[in-house]
Amino acid sequence: MQYGLDRPMVTQFFEWLGSALQLDFGRSFYFQNTVMELVGERLPITLKLGAMSLLLAVAVAIPLGVAAALYRDTWVDRLALLVATIGQAMPNFWFALALIVVFSVGLKWLPVAGNASWQNFVLPAVALGYYAMPSLMRLTRAGMLDVMGSDYIRTARAKGLSPARVVFKHALRNAIIPVVALAAVELGFMLGGSVVIESVYSLQGLGQLAWDSIARNDYPVVQAVVLIIATFYIALTFVADVLNAALDPRMRTR
Amino acid sequence: MSILLDVKNLRVDLPTERGMLHTVRGIDFQVRRGEMLCLVGESGCGKSMTSLALMGLLPARARRSADRLQFDGIDLQAQDERGMSRLRGARMSMIFQEPMTSLNPSYTLGDQLCEALRAHRKVTAAEARERALYLLERAGVPQAADRLRQYPHQLSGGLRQRVMIAMALMCGPDLIIADEPTTALDVTIQAQILRLIRELQQEFGTAVVFITHDLGVVARIADRVAVMYAGEVVETAPVDQLFDQPSHPYTQGLLRCIPVRGKTLPGSRLQAIPGVVPSLVGEVQGCAFANRCSQVRPACSVAPPFAEVAPGHAVRCVTAAHPATLAEVA
Amino acid sequence: MTTTSLPLPGTAALAALPVPAWRRTLRRAAGHRGLLIGSIVLGLAVLAAVLAPWLAPHDPFAQDVTQRLIPPVWHERGTWEHVLGTDKLGRDYLSRLLYGARVSLVIGFVTALVAGLIGTTLGVLAGYFGGRVDAVVSYVITCRLAMPVVLVALAMASLVGGSLKVVIVLLSLLLWDRFAIVTRSATQQLRDAEFIAAAKSLGASTPYILVRELLPNLMGALTVVATLEMAHAILLESTLSFLGLGVQPPTPSWGLMVAEGKAYMFFQPWVIMIPGVVLAVLVLAINLVGDGIRDVAAPDGRH
Repeated sequence: MQYGLDRPMVTQFFEWLGSALQLDFGRSFYFQNTVMELVGERLPITLKLGAMSLLLAVAVAIPLGVAAALYRDTWVDRLALLVATIGQAMPNFWFALALIVVFSVGLKWLPVAGNASWQNFVLPAVALGYYAMPSLMRLTRAGMLDVMGSDYIRTARAKGLSPARVVFKHALRNAIIPVVALAAVELGFMLGGSVVIESVYSLQGLGQLAWDSIARNDYPVVQAVVLIIATFYIALTFVADVLNAALDPRMRTR
Repeated sequence: MSILLDVKNLRVDLPTERGMLHTVRGIDFQVRRGEMLCLVGESGCGKSMTSLALMGLLPARARRSADRLQFDGIDLQAQDERGMSRLRGARMSMIFQEPMTSLNPSYTLGDQLCEALRAHRKVTAAEARERALYLLERAGVPQAADRLRQYPHQLSGGLRQRVMIAMALMCGPDLIIADEPTTALDVTIQAQILRLIRELQQEFGTAVVFITHDLGVVARIADRVAVMYAGEVVETAPVDQLFDQPSHPYTQGLLRCIPVRGKTLPGSRLQAIPGVVPSLVGEVQGCAFANRCSQVRPACSVAPPFAEVAPGHAVRCVTAAHPATLAEVA
Repeated sequence: MTTTSLPLPGTAALAALPVPAWRRTLRRAAGHRGLLIGSIVLGLAVLAAVLAPWLAPHDPFAQDVTQRLIPPVWHERGTWEHVLGTDKLGRDYLSRLLYGARVSLVIGFVTALVAGLIGTTLGVLAGYFGGRVDAVVSYVITCRLAMPVVLVALAMASLVGGSLKVVIVLLSLLLWDRFAIVTRSATQQLRDAEFIAAAKSLGASTPYILVRELLPNLMGALTVVATLEMAHAILLESTLSFLGLGVQPPTPSWGLMVAEGKAYMFFQPWVIMIPGVVLAVLVLAINLVGDGIRDVAAPDGRH
């Protein structure tokens, strides 16, 4: 009665939606706190994880993509594509575990669990970010290959600019536009996929909350988390479009 | 006037699926300081490849060789990429055909102009900007100060080409290679740009290799002309001599195609040159023009050497070199 | 083929005909290394799965507490009796691996098929009819794209309870988006093509056009998407099983095997390494096949 579960489904849904828009998701079945309190506690951790993962993915993908494009069809290119193909084939939960075995236990470089310091985030960030790296790298490579054949690159070389300047100042600036947009979208996927990683590394983030709540049938929390992440997805897709437009000066003036 | 650019037996080969394409097959020419040399020929004759070969901007798979390729005494073949980068933009610049795509859309014109100078000289941003402004004004760009802050897409084709010309002059080079800079422009703008190039060339004393397929352009601005056909230079001469006394049958054929005011009678036919250019994949036997030449002789089955027929006037033709059997020019 | 002594009229002309397109494609396919390797590996996997009952040295469900956690044969304590060792309940790993291949491949194929049906139907309808149909389908696609797949799958699976069938149904209902998007845009492009107009002018009915004229032209793109989604489904199933909401024990699923081995991974790493590597290899093979088909079918390199 208290939860209004006796009223028809449709009414319940719209009531929920109305409250949700005011950020009132009700109370958790399991905890005493409101859902918003729980989410507020966990969201920063997941966001931190997501940001680090994206940073790592981009930090690897862009140089690799540029190198693959510049040394097309050489071993550099083939190696990059190999890394990308393998990266997309490994299941993330397994890779997460493998990282623990190798780095935490085998080499003892990094801690295993918890979220005390930034070091706790390194392995999870790698485990979450590696899956996004291949598509970002391929897009960078394709963009660079496309751009390097342009007339303005030929002009830049004809001006006597150093090869580094031609590649990084002129070529990359134009090739990177779709990559930035894709990165925004990938961040959304990472937020959604954080469930597995947080569970493996025992990080008290949003994904872990969702997972535990699913196990405990704590529906208000589950609904709230799914909605929040879906909203992030949509918001990030929008951000991607905005970035696309903002980075291309042809769109800016006029 | 001393010789600035000395090219002897330049060859450019491009490996293709069908075999090795000999785009440039041993050309000789020279450019003196402050001189305007027009390199004229039809599409596919190798003139663009020549320009890229000089600048060291050939595609990676192309192969270049020459007996001599000297710029102001510097052996261009001995330069590695870094050496060429030092020369490019600073001592030899290039202007391309397509102003619409030759500028980076993501940077302002000012940025692109100034970087052309600052890549080679230690100048402050303000000094570079000053020079850019000066050259833009000399190039006839109105509201030059505003233009520096604008992006390429905000300018018309003609204006962009003026910017390209200014950019080529930023470091005060000794040589500018202009690859059909007016071909992609409106006819009305073409004349303006041509005049501009000629004026700037004479004012700054820059030598120019002007590549074109239009004999009208040649007549208007050239000091000397080199006619290219099928990867070879078939005739070089001072511009007046070329039009008055064309020696190579191809040059003669070209001139016959153009109506000349005062000479061509109304109602008379313009004569096109029959036949097609031979394929340059694989070796060409003998003279490349032989299959289309009205003055062909058995001796033409051997590739004719480049020989002087008058001071400063050289021809690659057996018939022209031995005028005893020269046919009447129409 | 016997040769005739006299050339029949017209045979010379026939001999001059160009090689049919499909044969050229086949030739290109044979030369594509990735496609070849992927196909071979995938073929072997399918073979192993189909022949599992004959290939498996032991019953994958047979537990033997005395044989717990024996390492693989390359370890000092390993034996040839259990080539890849045993798990915590003494079950032979190799046998479980082979039967687990069945689970993965079945889920992969069936999901790709059903999701393909759903997605292609939606996509073709939207692309061909446009207008309101397109608006509705596009809206549905957008809603689907806004959903975090893993979370939703987990939530749904917890509601209904995990099992092989549930996983297949769930994933089929979630993985159709790319099919729909690709077929929609391809149909839009082909909608105004001449052969469609020709069929219409001959009085062909709409269903006929859609199935007999349009669909064959979509097959290339569809095959590529199908392989990618198959790989996607296999990875998702293993994730679900790993979290306990997919295939339930004692059915062997590679994801489940990793989960079961998690507690022992520090001292017996092979327990998680082996299924993980096998999963990666299978997914890799499928991806190679998908990429290969795309390269071969569109050799002008549409990046």
